[in-house]
Amino acid sequence: MKGVIFNILEELVIETAGIVAWNSILEKLELKGIYTAGQSYPDEELFALVGEISASLNKPAPEIVGHFGEYLFHQLNQRYPEFTTQQTDLRAFLKSVHDVIHVEVRKLYESPNLPTITCHEPDDNTLVMEYRSPRQLCILAEGLVRGAAEYYKTPIEMTHPVCTHKGADHCDLVIRFL
Amino acid sequence: MSETEAYKQAWLREKQARLAAEELLEVKARDLYLANQQLMEQNQLLKEQQALMIRNEKLATLGTLSAGVAHEINNPLAFVLSNMDSLKRYTGAYNSLLELNTHWQSQNQLPPALAESLTVLIEEQDLEFVAEDIQDLLRDTDEGLIRLRDIVQSLRHFSHGGNSERTLYNLTEGLDSTLKVLQNELKQGINVNCLFEPIPPIHCNPGEMNQVFLNLIMNACQALEQSPEPQIFITTATESGQAQEEIVIRIKDNGCGIPQDKLKSVFDPFFTTKPVGKGTGMGLSIAYGILNEHGGNIIVNSAEGKGTCFEIRLPVEEPQAD
Repeated sequence: MKGVIFNILEELVIETAGIVAWNSILEKLELKGIYTAGQSYPDEELFALVGEISASLNKPAPEIVGHFGEYLFHQLNQRYPEFTTQQTDLRAFLKSVHDVIHVEVRKLYESPNLPTITCHEPDDNTLVMEYRSPRQLCILAEGLVRGAAEYYKTPIEMTHPVCTHKGADHCDLVIRFL
Repeated sequence: MSETEAYKQAWLREKQARLAAEELLEVKARDLYLANQQLMEQNQLLKEQQALMIRNEKLATLGTLSAGVAHEINNPLAFVLSNMDSLKRYTGAYNSLLELNTHWQSQNQLPPALAESLTVLIEEQDLEFVAEDIQDLLRDTDEGLIRLRDIVQSLRHFSHGGNSERTLYNLTEGLDSTLKVLQNELKQGINVNCLFEPIPPIHCNPGEMNQVFLNLIMNACQALEQSPEPQIFITTATESGQAQEEIVIRIKDNGCGIPQDKLKSVFDPFFTTKPVGKGTGMGLSIAYGILNEHGGNIIVNSAEGKGTCFEIRLPVEEPQAD
C-alpha cells in the first residue's frame, strides 16, 4: 500500500482523536510511522493500524474503514483535483476510476497493485461497480464512493450484494441514483 | 505562545513542505514516465528501421553477388549449350555409320573376317545399347542445361532487370493481360476481385512489370490450394506516399498465409517453402529486384491461416513538359 494512504489515515486519526492517540497507536504496534507518499509499505501494517484504531476508539473495524474511505476521497481530491474537475457528474466520475485515474496512478508509481474495477449499467438509474482485488478492501471502496457522492452532492443508495468476504470471487457495489 | 504551540506550528509547516516536495516529485515522475514512453516508441521504430535497412543491404549484396555468379556461369553455359548442338549432330553421324554396318552385315556384303572383327567390337563395346542410351543422356542433359539457363536468367533479373527498355505503360493493362495469361490457373474455382481505380501510366519495362504480377498472382494461386473459398483481391490506387504521390497495387489472397518467422526471408533469392523441384525460390526476389530498379518497393503482410497481401508502391512521374 502506498504511503499516501498511511499519511491520510494519520491525518484522520490526529484530526479526530489527537496526536497523542496516534503516537500511542504507533507505540503499541511498535511502528516508526514514517511514510512517504510514493513508497510502498506492507498491507499488514495498514490492517494492523486499522485494527488498533478500532480497538482504541471502540468501534468495529469495517466502520472505521468505511469512514476512512470517505475521508480518503476528500483528501485525495484535494491533492489531485483534476480528476473531479474533468468529470461533470458522479456517474461519469465513477466510470472514469479505472480507465482514467488508475492509468494516471500507474504513471506515478511503480507496481501500485491497483484493484480492477469494471462498470456496467443495468438500467438508467443504476451503476454496478465490479471490484476485484486480492486485498479485499471493498469496504474502503464503498467509503470512497460515498465520499465522491458527497462531493458531487448526488444522493445515492448503495448495496453490496456480492462480496468476497461472503465467498464470491469479486464484489458488486450496486449504486442507485435517487 | 507556548513551546508546544510553537512546535505544532513548525510541524504544520514541515507537513506543508513535505506535501509540496511530494507534489514536485510526482510532476517529475510523470514527466519521466512520458519521456520514457516516447523513448521506447522511438527505440522500437529505430529497431524496425534498422532491421529493414539490414534486410535491404543484404538483398543488395545478394544482388551483386548473384549478378557475378550469373555472369560467371553464363559464359561456360553458353559454350556448353552450343557444344550440345554439335554433339547431337555428331552422334547422328555415328549412328548412321552403325546403321550402315548393320545393313552390310545383314546383306552379307562384308568379307567374313572383317564382319567377325566388327561384330566382336560392337558386342564388346555394347555399341547398340550406347546408340540407344546416348539419346536419353542427351535429352536429360538438355533439360538440365535449360533449367540452369533459367536459374541464371532469374538471377540476372533479380540483380538488374536485364533489358532496360522502358516505355509509357499503364499497369492496369499489365494486370489485365496477366490475368488473361493465368486464366487456366484461375479456372479452378478461384474468385478474382479487381477494383482498379484509374492510375497514371509510368515509364517502365512492361515485360518485367508483367512478370512481377505473374509471380505474385501465381503465388496467391498456390497459397489458395487448400482454401475452401479461394479469393484474390487486386486493387490499384494512387496514394500520397512519404515524399510524393505513389501508385499502390495490392494483391491479396485469403490463403494459407506465411508464418511470421518466414516472412523476413520471402524476398531472399532461393528462399522457398515449396517442395524441392516445385519452385526455384526466385519469384519474389525477381519481383523485388524489378521493382527496386523502377524506384519502387514491395512489402508483405501476412497472417497465418488468414491470407497474405503484397503491396507494390511505385512513384508517380511528374508530367514532363514537351
